[in-house]
Amino acid sequence: MTNIILLNPEIILAAAGLFILLAGAFIGENRAKLLFHLGIISSAAVLGMIITQAGLSAYGTGTMWILDPGAQFFKFLILAATVFTLLLSVNYTAIQPRHIGTYTALLLWASCGMMLLSGAMDFIYLLISLELISISCFILTGFEQKNPRSAEGAIKYFLMGGLSTAVTIYGISLFYGATGTTNLFSYASAVDLHLSDPAYIMGMLFILVGFGFKISMVPFHFWAPDAYEGAPTPVTAYLSTASKLAALGAMMRIFASVIPHHALNLTIIIAGLAALTMTLGNLAALFQTNVKRLLAYSSIAQAGYMLIGLVVADPIGREGVFFYALAYLVTNMGAFAVALVVAGKTGSYELDAYDGLAKRSLGLSIVMVMFLLSLAGIPPLAGFVAKFYVFGAAVNSQHYLWLAVLGVLNSVVSIYYYMNIARRMFFVNSEDSSPVETDLYTAGVIVITATAVLLIGLLPETFMRMIKYCVSFHF
Amino acid sequence: MSLLSLIVFAPLAGALLILAIPNTRTKAIQGVAAASSAVCMIFSGYLYYAFDKSTAAMQFIEKVSWIPAFNISYHLGVDGLSVTIVALTALLTLVSIIYSFNITLRVKEFFFWFLLLEVGMLGVFVSLDLFLFYVFWELTLVPMYFLIGVWGGPQKEYAAIKFFVYTLFGSLVMLLGILALYFNSAPHTFDMLELARQSSLFPLNFQIWVFLALYLGFAIKIPAFPFHTWLPLAHVEAPTGVSVLLAGILLKMGIYGLLRVSFPVLPLAAKWFMPFFIVIAVINIIYGALVAMAQKDLKKMVAYSSINHMGYCMLGMAAMTTIGFNGAVLQMVTHGLITGSLFLLVGVIYDRAHTRDIDAFGGLGARFPIFAGLMTIQVMASLGLPGLAGFVSEFLCFLGAFEAWPYYVAASAIGILVTAAFFLRMIEKVFLGPFNEKWAGLPDMNLRELVAIVPLAVLTLVIGLWPRFCLDLIDPTITYLVGIVNR
Repeated sequence: MTNIILLNPEIILAAAGLFILLAGAFIGENRAKLLFHLGIISSAAVLGMIITQAGLSAYGTGTMWILDPGAQFFKFLILAATVFTLLLSVNYTAIQPRHIGTYTALLLWASCGMMLLSGAMDFIYLLISLELISISCFILTGFEQKNPRSAEGAIKYFLMGGLSTAVTIYGISLFYGATGTTNLFSYASAVDLHLSDPAYIMGMLFILVGFGFKISMVPFHFWAPDAYEGAPTPVTAYLSTASKLAALGAMMRIFASVIPHHALNLTIIIAGLAALTMTLGNLAALFQTNVKRLLAYSSIAQAGYMLIGLVVADPIGREGVFFYALAYLVTNMGAFAVALVVAGKTGSYELDAYDGLAKRSLGLSIVMVMFLLSLAGIPPLAGFVAKFYVFGAAVNSQHYLWLAVLGVLNSVVSIYYYMNIARRMFFVNSEDSSPVETDLYTAGVIVITATAVLLIGLLPETFMRMIKYCVSFHF
Repeated sequence: MSLLSLIVFAPLAGALLILAIPNTRTKAIQGVAAASSAVCMIFSGYLYYAFDKSTAAMQFIEKVSWIPAFNISYHLGVDGLSVTIVALTALLTLVSIIYSFNITLRVKEFFFWFLLLEVGMLGVFVSLDLFLFYVFWELTLVPMYFLIGVWGGPQKEYAAIKFFVYTLFGSLVMLLGILALYFNSAPHTFDMLELARQSSLFPLNFQIWVFLALYLGFAIKIPAFPFHTWLPLAHVEAPTGVSVLLAGILLKMGIYGLLRVSFPVLPLAAKWFMPFFIVIAVINIIYGALVAMAQKDLKKMVAYSSINHMGYCMLGMAAMTTIGFNGAVLQMVTHGLITGSLFLLVGVIYDRAHTRDIDAFGGLGARFPIFAGLMTIQVMASLGLPGLAGFVSEFLCFLGAFEAWPYYVAASAIGILVTAAFFLRMIEKVFLGPFNEKWAGLPDMNLRELVAIVPLAVLTLVIGLWPRFCLDLIDPTITYLVGIVNR
């Protein structure tokens, strides 16, 4: 435990969470919004720390965690998502002022767990960080106490999440039984010894299932639409980005680097699950009438595209996943921010709330179209370059060309429901024609994410170089 | 001097400027739209003038490294294949914008999307890097979706999404083909010229697969049978100015893609595919003509005649000779001019009568001499009357293809007959015979419409009488291209 200093950012974030929780007990309700700002400042400060440590690569034998540019990259994404989420929460009225402290603290702790997960090199450590994430997120999902949907979503999420944890633990115990260790460092040197052991492969399969729940991989996705619909919208944005990407990062480390899935002959299973995930996600999204559910299914489909990169798992594929994660984060966050603004004005998350939005706020509509097109993968936006990257990896591998073809077909399907929102905004008229205003915090998120979507799409080179660097050090 | 970048991005500057103007100031918005597309037109005119007719090499090249990680560069250039189409695009957009001054609904958004569309179209024709090409290719989709969906006819929403889904499907499959080309070239590149140089390294089997993937994307745009079903709907529902660009420019993107990418990069597959291609071309010609004959709606008739005319282009391409290719490229230009003005003229009559039913008119010729005159010129050009532009290009297509595919060319002649039949019958029903008194109060064409249509009519005459106006620019490149394809 000599290098606990490597965990300084996580420790600071957790301590900030504790402080905010305590402060929440003493602060008056009219000033409670200060706590959001404290949360924003502390997560932004930790984000700064992560950036200064970006090039650091440190670990030692016997440790349970690792610090490498790959982990730092995912920590960066998680913290950026946290800052965005808190910014979106500031004017979210369904959170009662007296609970703001708890809310902010839980959010910071969940992020802390995700950061730990990004560097996990030991299954016990990994399990603890997963639990920290899960428990915080269960509560956050159910945070709208007056809203029965919120409670329903939280319960579903809790039951499914509990099950997935049990499965993961079982997998870890099998892994331990077969290899005699839970540590991936000591294991990595002896990979070949165990490859034919059925208990070991079974264990890895269960661990895969556990991660499948977290990234809402079909057929382990059932909790996602309900939890996403019920949760407070900022939390939905958080779950669909930070939580998903953190789990994906850990999956990349375990299944693409430490224990390559092709060595386990699990590739075909992951490929099949990726195919199922994008297809079912897209087909289900076609029939949604609630924008949060629609984005939930769309985020399931997006996870499917990202898994293509994991299936290929060569450097291009891994870079593709990293790039996709970045593009997906800014795009999805932006889309949820717009959904929040629209719901704040109309009080509804149904799709018909978008009728005639172009006349009420042309700027907001154009930006929303940008986010939707980026999700669909239309150039010159971030989502296009991301898809280009993962599809390119699949084409290059030749074995998985079929995944690229399926991905293309899915993109065509997805354009229909993404454009359905655009259709409502631009083609349909509404009776209410009062302009839609955006508050300062949400506007900030929208401006930053929209700029990022354009910038990543038009000048991807900087980001690609950064990601190449991260991937080349990803253990 | 970065002339090509100025041409491509002048409309973008206009589009962004329009976003900043409050939407009540209609005149200012129209002015900016017209001005920025006029600037673009002036630059294109200069490009046409300054273009060196003696060489087949790329000219006005701009090359800046863009995404070195994938060896992608911002690489622009024009040769004889693209320069005429760039000029055509700038011209047609300008006249469509002038014509579209009669749009009163959400003017700001209309011209914003319209100028964005122009950026995409121009970009497609000048980019020499497949990645850049694809970006511009897709950039045309989104504005078109909104232009059809907001300002279109009764079935606009369905037409818009059908257009979007259909063409996106084609272009994504094309993207897979592009990726396959990239990963199989050594060193990996998206550069069209470099890929053409490496074409001999690609085995036939690989070429066939990639050719088919690219072909799907291009064929949907052309539209080649059986991928034409989006076209009538989109053309008919779109507002007039947009129909002009759909028929005049967007369809050419498919032909252009085949000539620019598929043929030089995948010559073996192109040769392998020609027996199928010629059949598709003949189906396009005959089927397009027959369906056009069955239409009662003027706009639908013109839309289906586009399918027929694109068939002539394909016929010329299937020849794989200099004459045929010259004919195909010239046909792109003349079809853009002729069909563009036909759509404008149909718009003129529709704006006044609010119907496009051929049977509803009669005897308009005597009352509306200017309209009747222009319409007759363009219809005659479209059906291939010697002395007008359509004749030259169609003649070259037929002449080129005759050597290689005599029987198919003979069959295609039926298409010409049918085209003549339905167009002449239309002239007869609309302009001749007893005057339908219902239309007595309608005014003849106004200045705005004349400014939009007369330049196109003049060019139709000029090219018809002196085709070297275009062919001199096209020919050197085509000779070189035929050389590589038949290597």
